Amino acid sequence: MSEVEKLPKKMIKLKWNDKDLEVPEGTNLLGAALNNGIKVAHYCYHPGLAVAGVCRMCMVEQQGVPRPFPACNAVVAEGIQVRNDTKQIKDAVEWTLQFHLLNHPLDCPICDQAGECGLQDYYMKHGQYDSAMIDKKVHKKKVQDIGCDVVLDAERCILCARCTRFVDDVTKTHELGIVNRGDHAEISVQKELHNDYAQNLVDICPVGALTSKDFRFKQRVWFLEDVESTCIGCETGCSVKISQNKSGAYRVRPIVDSEVNGFWMCDDGRKIYKHLSTPGRLVGPMVFKNSMFLPVAESEIKEKIKSKNIKFILSAGLSNEEYQSFFKEFKNIKNITLYQLPKTGAEFDGILKRADKNCNLRGAQKAFKLAGADSSEEAMKKMLDTLTSQDALFVVMPEIVYDHDNYASFLSKIKKAGLRVALTTDDMRSEFSDFHFLLPVPTFLEKEGHIINYQNKERKLNKGRSYGASDRNVGDWAHLFH
Amino acid sequence: MSIANKADYQNFTLLSYHHIPSVHHLEIFEEAGGYEMMKKCFTLDPEKIKEEVKNSGLRGRGGAGFPTGVKWGFFSKDRNQRKYLLCNADESEPGTFKDRYLLEINPHILVEGMIISAFALGTQRGYIYIRGEFYEQAMILEKAVKDAYKRGYLGKNILGSGFDFELVVHRGAGAYICGEETGLISSLEGQKGRPKLKPPFPAIKGYRGLPTIVNNVETLAAVPWIMRCGAAAYKKWGTEKSPGTKLFSISGDVNRPGVFELPLGIPLIEVIEKHCEGVREGNKLKAVIPGGSSAPIFTAEIAKEVRMDYEDIAQKGSMLGSGAIIVLDETRSIPDILKWTLEFYHHESCGQCTPCREGTGWMEKIFKRAEQGEGKLSDIELLDKVAFNMRGRTICALSDAAAMPTQGIIKAFRGELESYIKIQMKNR
Repeated sequence: MSEVEKLPKKMIKLKWNDKDLEVPEGTNLLGAALNNGIKVAHYCYHPGLAVAGVCRMCMVEQQGVPRPFPACNAVVAEGIQVRNDTKQIKDAVEWTLQFHLLNHPLDCPICDQAGECGLQDYYMKHGQYDSAMIDKKVHKKKVQDIGCDVVLDAERCILCARCTRFVDDVTKTHELGIVNRGDHAEISVQKELHNDYAQNLVDICPVGALTSKDFRFKQRVWFLEDVESTCIGCETGCSVKISQNKSGAYRVRPIVDSEVNGFWMCDDGRKIYKHLSTPGRLVGPMVFKNSMFLPVAESEIKEKIKSKNIKFILSAGLSNEEYQSFFKEFKNIKNITLYQLPKTGAEFDGILKRADKNCNLRGAQKAFKLAGADSSEEAMKKMLDTLTSQDALFVVMPEIVYDHDNYASFLSKIKKAGLRVALTTDDMRSEFSDFHFLLPVPTFLEKEGHIINYQNKERKLNKGRSYGASDRNVGDWAHLFH
Repeated sequence: MSIANKADYQNFTLLSYHHIPSVHHLEIFEEAGGYEMMKKCFTLDPEKIKEEVKNSGLRGRGGAGFPTGVKWGFFSKDRNQRKYLLCNADESEPGTFKDRYLLEINPHILVEGMIISAFALGTQRGYIYIRGEFYEQAMILEKAVKDAYKRGYLGKNILGSGFDFELVVHRGAGAYICGEETGLISSLEGQKGRPKLKPPFPAIKGYRGLPTIVNNVETLAAVPWIMRCGAAAYKKWGTEKSPGTKLFSISGDVNRPGVFELPLGIPLIEVIEKHCEGVREGNKLKAVIPGGSSAPIFTAEIAKEVRMDYEDIAQKGSMLGSGAIIVLDETRSIPDILKWTLEFYHHESCGQCTPCREGTGWMEKIFKRAEQGEGKLSDIELLDKVAFNMRGRTICALSDAAAMPTQGIIKAFRGELESYIKIQMKNR
């Protein structure tokens, strides 16, 4: 987020090959090209990290400069003319790529990075195809579990030092370093990874050296499609993309967003896809009978709630649109309160993570206020304390729970209500056995909508594939009451 | 190791105290006139000292030959800013032993040179980064620094001049790459000895991110003489573009190897025939490496014509480097030379930049394969190509230092390499 430039800057004009670029003063030369859609091969450069200048792929020639130099170690200047399409540079890039691949095991068929690997991608353009190397390769340690669900394969590593710079500059936990010299140099794990951002290492590794234990061998990346959305893990609201296909959702990765998360996201956010495609997601209304959940007709629920006093507890993780439609559909119901997830961990960890785990508390409060309802925790507690057997309590369950003790004590308190109905995105699990009925509602990936993050900024939720039964959101269940 | 006879010293700059017994003692050094110039310099305008050094045309003696005065010119003139003067005594280029010789006999000439230079540059702190293997030399140097502190030549308010200068001797841990100026800075900062990206250059942003000048031992040791006798006197020696004298460390197949201080521009053959008393046992000269292991090799024919100055050697396709002359007679095998060169640079590559990290290892493998009798004649072409593609593409010059001698040997002795590959194949 430090990359965010708030003040308007002087624009600099330069020429890259035959293209005229206009970029703000102080922009990195390679960054200027990449931001303008020019494809330049590079491994070690990452806009969120300090410049290393070691992969030597982004070499350019500049008029008036005697020697080629890496574009990543230069800043734009007015009127400069830079080329990377000359024969000299093309040869240099080809050979540097050959050097990169020299001791690489070429185990693409069993490598998880295949399909999104920097070595493969640039080989298509800059490869020499006939390898001149017939000598034995240098062997290094493979499949090292280095903690935080990250696996290191030192043979595949091209020593771009992105990972070491990340743990040095971003998390400042310094778990990784490079040991040994020359072609025996390798990433060493000085201590097991122990930071909340370790999965970013997998993202920034341009090759298959660092892979995620959570994602390894589950899917080939070319079978996946990405849906852009917003992380619902906490109030920060990082921009993310969820990789999914018809058989399920597989991973969450950050999208570069200078306003909120910059280049990174936390490891907790990586897990928000887990409930999306679990087997046993509700396919329709269910009833708890004879110690198991069974499908039930809506009319039966209707019958049961008819004579009851309807009360609602909403979670603070629905979209603004859902709150709106809820309050529109249920305007007759006066007993509506809000369940807020308790704060967990440090108020702010200095990078992205925040203690408030309610992704749309601000949206919820706004909607409650508009509808004249009380969104305070006291109101909810009062409602819990005054539940009677005449009450039919509808609880919209939170999508993600961190503090399970608090959640359990919340669930234990609702038992006083005569009839209990859960509206949930989850599968049928034992914690729902206190409810009489379950109704499915869409997950964050199954609906279009907006949430409001800690900065009071609106973030977008996009609709991806649906793995549950229902497109019905909370408000759509209103017909049960008519 | 022998040295030139006593009569030669009178005209010399760097070795002008070397004939005095026990000159490493401060008192004896002072008796011979040491530290006089330092005292005088404190009364001068620092800019004037810089001007004098610039006028002398003194070029960096570490190997690159960059004009010292110009380097100093990039340095911040703000005397209140924290700045550093580093002395590069990490002499590790194979064949080079001039700084070691200078330091073990006369450490005070460096200390004096550093104080004068620090005063001129306005640096308050200095480090002498000495090669780890130079244990005795480091002890001698440390003693000299300690004595200089005791005498008040170092520390706060030196001799009442108001100038502060702290000097520390720091021992390296034995890596060739720490002799590269930014590698040295990384090492001194406590990091892994890896060169840093340039720009920014150390003179702008060096040790701990502050302006830093890194000079070789021989460069700094020349400063007191230049101040004493003047730039014009210094320029009497050498050529127009390579003024002054230089320490040459000569090893290999000569009758009298050693360190010689000779004016730049001296014909190489005169060095060998006159000062080193000829090739050993009357053998025929085969080749000469003129500037340390990273300099491309000269055949005997070129060696007989070349003059030992920066421009003539460069024009003939090699470099003066650190002035380490390695003489090879007809009994030597060129493939052997190539082998140890490749082994050395493979071992010393820091592994940061890809072309160097992979290229140095690859070249060694190609050669070792030929040694095993599994080579092909086309391997020579391959070696040449690999070397070519390692040049000019890395942060520091180590990649070039490995590539240049390889290409040089291929150019000058291709026939011998070819027959070597064939013989090894036959003997397999």
